[in-house]
Amino acid sequence: MRLKTFERLLHRPPGFLLLLFLLPLLASCGREPVYESQSYVFGTLVDITIYGESEERARELSGHVLQQFQRLHEQLHAWQSGSKLDNLNQAFAAGKSTSVSPELAGMLADATRLSEQSGGLFNPAIGHLIQVWGFQSDEFKPVEPDPEEVEKWVAANPQMRDIVIVDGYAQSRNPAVRLDFGGYAKGWALDYAARYLHEQRVAGALVNIGGNIIAIGTRGDRPWRVGIQHPRGAGAIASVDLPDGWAIGTSGDYQRYFERDGRRYCHIIDPRTGQPAQGAQAVSILVPAGARAGTLSDTASKPIFIDHEHWREEAREMGMEHVMFIDAHGTIHLTAAMRQRLKFTDEHTPLDVVP
Amino acid sequence: MTRSTIEITTTRDDHRVARLAALAIMLHLIEAILPSPLPGVKPGTANIVTLYVLYRFDFATAAWVSLLRVVAGSLLLGNFLSPAFVLSLTGALCSLLILRAAMALPRARFGAITLSVLAAFAHIAGQLLVVRLWLIPHAGVAFLIPVFAAAALFFGTINGLITARLLRENVGNA
Amino acid sequence: MSFPKPLAGDWLVLIIATVIVAALFATLWHNEQAGKVRIRAGDAVFATLSLAQKRILDVPGPLGISRVEIDQGRVRVASDPGRHQYCVKQGWLTRVGEVAMCLPNQVSVELLGEGKAYDSLNY
Repeated sequence: MRLKTFERLLHRPPGFLLLLFLLPLLASCGREPVYESQSYVFGTLVDITIYGESEERARELSGHVLQQFQRLHEQLHAWQSGSKLDNLNQAFAAGKSTSVSPELAGMLADATRLSEQSGGLFNPAIGHLIQVWGFQSDEFKPVEPDPEEVEKWVAANPQMRDIVIVDGYAQSRNPAVRLDFGGYAKGWALDYAARYLHEQRVAGALVNIGGNIIAIGTRGDRPWRVGIQHPRGAGAIASVDLPDGWAIGTSGDYQRYFERDGRRYCHIIDPRTGQPAQGAQAVSILVPAGARAGTLSDTASKPIFIDHEHWREEAREMGMEHVMFIDAHGTIHLTAAMRQRLKFTDEHTPLDVVP
Repeated sequence: MTRSTIEITTTRDDHRVARLAALAIMLHLIEAILPSPLPGVKPGTANIVTLYVLYRFDFATAAWVSLLRVVAGSLLLGNFLSPAFVLSLTGALCSLLILRAAMALPRARFGAITLSVLAAFAHIAGQLLVVRLWLIPHAGVAFLIPVFAAAALFFGTINGLITARLLRENVGNA
Repeated sequence: MSFPKPLAGDWLVLIIATVIVAALFATLWHNEQAGKVRIRAGDAVFATLSLAQKRILDVPGPLGISRVEIDQGRVRVASDPGRHQYCVKQGWLTRVGEVAMCLPNQVSVELLGEGKAYDSLNY
């Protein structure tokens, strides 16, 4: 045994073997032209993703959109005194007539049409009920509303059609009307953003306001892809490709709710009973491209959520083809058209597909 | 006369094995004392001795040298029956198992490098299993696996080359 | 200094072993890259961190401190000054794309990575 040889070899390993260590250094990745900004507007998270623009221009574009969102939020805030909507509500309660901007008049007319179409299940005029349930607050508490008061506001039957607009002046025939655009403003803002970004000829953008999303263009060579939150789990239950101009919205009992005596009270109030809607975990709808895709994604899921026992009929009533309804037991019901577009995270998820 | 001759030969073999075992223990101790850039990554030069013995003697002798090295080394280092000893023993046993199996490979095609690389991988695989199951039972170990595997390939190859050269230079001289 | 040449079988073993090592790097280190968490406070990114650690961060928001806990491949909001604790109730996030939002406190936690299955989350 020649120990010297041994030692010499140990201390001078052949150099070529060092090359083996370089093999793993294969990975390198190019950066994609994606700009993402996040902000808090409408009391929720606003997420704007822009693809294919320089960072400078992307920042400018999203900055403009966010500014407009902030403006809308301040105008349409339902419970901040001094907002345009608050002034309007004060005038309605007093039976007075007050001037409205063409923009706001347009929103009122549009919301009235949608409310009529939903048979009153989508009803932004029930601000008083929402207030009674304590949801007109960023930090709402579990409340036990006085049943008489709930009854009073239901019986007063505030409707969007009670609002009359003549020559830029609005008035309500029913003093119980109190507007809350919590289920409308975000969708309207989405349409605004999509229109603006289209005009600016953005290659691709995805705007997410508190979970309501609209797609503009594509993300390079593939469509924008959106995950749908599992109503009880931590991640996405499914994902879906959003073609240019399409929007997606979900009404869920998990977004704003409180629990009292082991029961869940969510922020979506059934105007017929004055009680928070029960029995549905989530209703998600996919809205094809159109001038009001964003608005519809925000509003059209609400009647389906409230009257979920007839979810398929309500969906037809609202002109929605792509609908997924998850009931209180977590069972997933969805239309065939929706089934075609969704890719479930767990491929073996049991589904109740309805034509 | 014949009997005594046999006795002398056996004794010389014993001496050789003892010397080789002592060398293995020495290498084991040096590696234990020298600092390593990454805890757990060691050249494993003592395996050169195990392989050498396997070629010059037989599997049983190689197993004996290997296990003697682990036990004696840990006694000298004062970590007998500690986690470090268990890791060392697991590595040695896994290496021996795969060496025993690899002996079935045709000698004309597969040399010391094959045995060394296989032993190094078995060594690290066994140790990582112990670490995962017993010492650090959470997922954080996973990303160390490629590093250990690369080290096993690197040092396994070097040790195999050294063994092959020692075998060539010491033909007929165990 | 010369070494005996590896035999044909040795080369085979070396090639296979190299492929295995490369594959291990590709799979396990890929996941490692995917294991990042982005914590935002208000409009700004508070921190982008690897998930392969044990760490507790206190993230300030308008209501107070939201405490974010990273634990070897997963992350959660451990405590939040908000009343409803939705983000705390969500528990551990483990998959790329999962988000926990503490709305009134304007703190959000998102898992980032290569394998993200979508660009944004509808909720």
